[in-house]
Amino acid sequence: MKRILSQAVKELAQFRRDRLTLALALLLPLMTLLIFGFAIRLEAKDIPIVIQDFDNSQLSRLYTEKLFATNQFTPVNWQSAPETALDYNFAKAAVMIPPDFSQRVTGNQSSEVQVIVDGTDVNNARVIKNSIKATTQAFLQDQKLIPENRLVVPETRLWFNPGREESLYIVPGVYAVVLWIFPSLLAAIAMVREKERGTILQVYASDLTAGELILGKALAYLVVGLGMAIVIMGIGALIFRLRFAGDPMPLLIGTPLYLWASVMFGIMLGARTASQNAAVQGVALVGFLTALLLSGFIYPLSNIPFPLSLVSNVVPARYFIGITRDAYVRGIGWSGVWFNLLMIFGLGLILFNVARKALSRMQLGD
Amino acid sequence: MVRNASPTAIALQAQDAARVPLIQVRDLRKNYGALAALQGISFEVYPGEVFGLIGPDGAGKTTTFHILGGVMEASSGMVDVLGQKPRNARLNIGYLTQQFSLYLDLSIDENLRYVAGLRRVNEADLQQRREKYLALMGLEQIGGRLAGQLSGGMKQKLALCCALMPQPQILLLDEPTTGVDPVSRREFWDVLATLASEGMTIVVATPYLDEAERCHRIALMYDGQINEVGTLKQLRLNLGLQRLEVRTEDIPATEQVLMPLVEKQTADLVDVQMFGDRLDVLVKDPTQAEPEVRRAIAEQGIVCQSIQQSEVTLENVFVTRLRQQGSDPPFIPLPRRVRTDSQVMRSNGDVRSAPVAIQARQLRKTFGTFQAVKGVDLEIRYGEIYGLLGANGAGKTTTIKMLCGLLPASGGEIALAGQTKNLRSRELRKRIGYMSQKFTLYDDLSVVENLKFYCGVYEVPTGYRQQKIDWVLEICGLQGQENMLTGRLPGGWKQRVAFGASVMHEPEILFLDEPTSGVDPLARRQFWRLINNLAQQGTAVLVTTHYLEEAEQCNRMGFMVAGEVVIQGSPSQIKAAQPGQLIELRVDQTQRASSLLKTQLESWRVSIFGDRLHVVLDQPERELPKLQSVLAAAEIQLLAQRVVPFSLEDAFISVVQRTEMGTKHRVD
Repeated sequence: MKRILSQAVKELAQFRRDRLTLALALLLPLMTLLIFGFAIRLEAKDIPIVIQDFDNSQLSRLYTEKLFATNQFTPVNWQSAPETALDYNFAKAAVMIPPDFSQRVTGNQSSEVQVIVDGTDVNNARVIKNSIKATTQAFLQDQKLIPENRLVVPETRLWFNPGREESLYIVPGVYAVVLWIFPSLLAAIAMVREKERGTILQVYASDLTAGELILGKALAYLVVGLGMAIVIMGIGALIFRLRFAGDPMPLLIGTPLYLWASVMFGIMLGARTASQNAAVQGVALVGFLTALLLSGFIYPLSNIPFPLSLVSNVVPARYFIGITRDAYVRGIGWSGVWFNLLMIFGLGLILFNVARKALSRMQLGD
Repeated sequence: MVRNASPTAIALQAQDAARVPLIQVRDLRKNYGALAALQGISFEVYPGEVFGLIGPDGAGKTTTFHILGGVMEASSGMVDVLGQKPRNARLNIGYLTQQFSLYLDLSIDENLRYVAGLRRVNEADLQQRREKYLALMGLEQIGGRLAGQLSGGMKQKLALCCALMPQPQILLLDEPTTGVDPVSRREFWDVLATLASEGMTIVVATPYLDEAERCHRIALMYDGQINEVGTLKQLRLNLGLQRLEVRTEDIPATEQVLMPLVEKQTADLVDVQMFGDRLDVLVKDPTQAEPEVRRAIAEQGIVCQSIQQSEVTLENVFVTRLRQQGSDPPFIPLPRRVRTDSQVMRSNGDVRSAPVAIQARQLRKTFGTFQAVKGVDLEIRYGEIYGLLGANGAGKTTTIKMLCGLLPASGGEIALAGQTKNLRSRELRKRIGYMSQKFTLYDDLSVVENLKFYCGVYEVPTGYRQQKIDWVLEICGLQGQENMLTGRLPGGWKQRVAFGASVMHEPEILFLDEPTSGVDPLARRQFWRLINNLAQQGTAVLVTTHYLEEAEQCNRMGFMVAGEVVIQGSPSQIKAAQPGQLIELRVDQTQRASSLLKTQLESWRVSIFGDRLHVVLDQPERELPKLQSVLAAAEIQLLAQRVVPFSLEDAFISVVQRTEMGTKHRVD
């Protein structure tokens, strides 16, 4: 135990002196938090749209007003053929109202409004399409053009995030990404640096075991990671106004566990690579890819296709996102996330063993 | 273990008495894939012994240390350290690895504390040993300084402190003094001698053969095998040769006279080596050979100044043995394209009348508030080899960088090949060769790709490129392996390739910054033959080096101390300019005598060389009797004493120490 501590103390002293690692530990996580927190917006807003109103009646103008009332669209002034606005990327959609629009509608005849949507961005195209459909439906209801007594009426209520605040969705996920990437990066650098500079020979020449070496380093970077977690969670709460939704205990216990897994991941890669470059690239690439794409941070887990969905089961970020979202949004507490904590701890243990195996001989290879 | 006995006494005692070796190695083998790094070596190391492992790069020294230190598994064979496997004995072994084994971003104290933690040393012992060892190394005042800010010598002393922290029974030192300046090297070895006298068993590898002479026993290693083990005396005896130091008016011409005699093998001459202002001729029987040499020289009308007989040095032994192994790298002069003006000028007469190639007047450089170079004057002619010597941080590299235009000077004048302006012009740069201290080759290119690249950079005409590249490959012994990645070459080989790359364009002026650090003696010898050959063709060469023994090869040299050239002249002039005399003493208790004499004299004046003491005395007539009585009072028996000529290293240390005390010397 004493040797683990002395290893950790040395590691922290080195950490304090290295500008690169200090930046990695403080500045970059904060920047990542701000960039992700502000830049990622999934809700479509202010979509440019061209309206060609051949009818130009009171009714047709009411219809267009209804479209813009959602704040989802902004009008684009376009004189030539509306479809060219899509060609030149000035608008994402075009709505063409026929000359006999009001005539036919008031005459209780069906009128065809043509809508062209730019399908390049698949997701947005669907959003635009649904939105126009829904507004048209609302327009018809307002104008009393469809009967009141429908038989099935869905009464929708949004739980947990009734205001549909996007930061509530994104920021807890960012915590998981940041606390996965940076602690593991620091730990990987610390591990591989010993090999690169040859100081690892001194460790090999003592009778320190691989487990002690790894735990010593892990302890140091666990401390660093906790500092990082306090900073970004504190600042995140201030800027994005996050409040605990329920019992914070799972998060308070889950964060050190998650950091442990993160640090072990870094040490494991550090133990298996030969240079800082390789280690940094390995951690950054594997870490970013899994934490961003396979964790449910942005893309729903249920959307991940079959073989990849198996991989996502062993991505600790996935389980930690469950914990942070519970803490800040859902507020269910232990009963909702106990399994996540278990998984994170278990994955950390597996990573620890892989790292220990890589170093088990505590000797130079051939 | 008997305290304070002389190292020889201990070694003899160890051999005579119990003969229980602390380290026993039998038929040790190690393979890295297809490469056999160790091909069955065997040796023993006895308690209290300083055991030297010397050999060229790639001989397998570091592999041996890794196995002894328990950080690497042997492929086969028996290794027994302190009666167990090295791995189980690790806590009783202090291991200083070849790369600095310190954490450079930790302070001295933090490094010590970390090692103490690693090696299960308790707090009380840590404090006590910290004080003891830091005092021994002279580092006690600066415990808070970062290891990265220490000089090379101090770093190695600190690394030694760390290795000593758990009070091991055995110290393994893998080239502890490589890249360390002469003053620090000597201090380091004094510390080793002290430790050995306290009963520490030390195994040490070193590329400096003068240092290796201070070991009790020496193993010569080559190509994964140990060729010979013995005391310095035994090795000399086994070689069965004597050395003649020949000084003449024209050294290169003399070498050309004597070389054929060696090659004929009918004469008594075995080998000839050139050292700046003298030739070392190895002979079987000096009484027969000396007249022979005199006659041969006289026949060519060369005036012979002196011939002195002396014992062979370890370097002589080593080089001769390696040559018997057939591992002498070939000496092939650089294939030349054209005769330059400077060559014509050189061939007309001797160096002193050749035009000046490199000139500096009152050259200064300041970095912020730090004065790195303070008013250096240099004048180097075509055909001359000028050596710039000095400790780490004395300003050598800065001076070279300013001279070849890589660094703007803060003040003073520079003239290169007669030009004073536009020192970075394309035309001028093509006439200059520069080999920097750090490797300038691309590790991720193959050897031949590197050479092709430099051919292109220096605009070697296309028709000559193949010839030049072949030449470099040949002098490096790399034919057939030219497609090997440069990063895979051992350090010494990279140096040779880098040297080849820097002279392919036949520069008139050549700057070499520490060209031979990490290069083994045989390759160093080849290096110097090539440099000598270039100089004879009229190239002006400015070289910096740490190895004072090889500095003897320079025609003239300057010692730099703290940014100033404090003394200039030929090696003989510098040695002759030393005030006082160098006295060699043989006593029965070397270590005790050394400690005692250091209480009487300034400590730099006393140093241990193997089983002898070197003492520098300004007024020997008055001081020597006093020292003799001091020794006699302490019951130390004086076996022999004689006046020996100053070596360059003695001169260097003396100059540095006197300068630091405020006295200046100048020879013109």
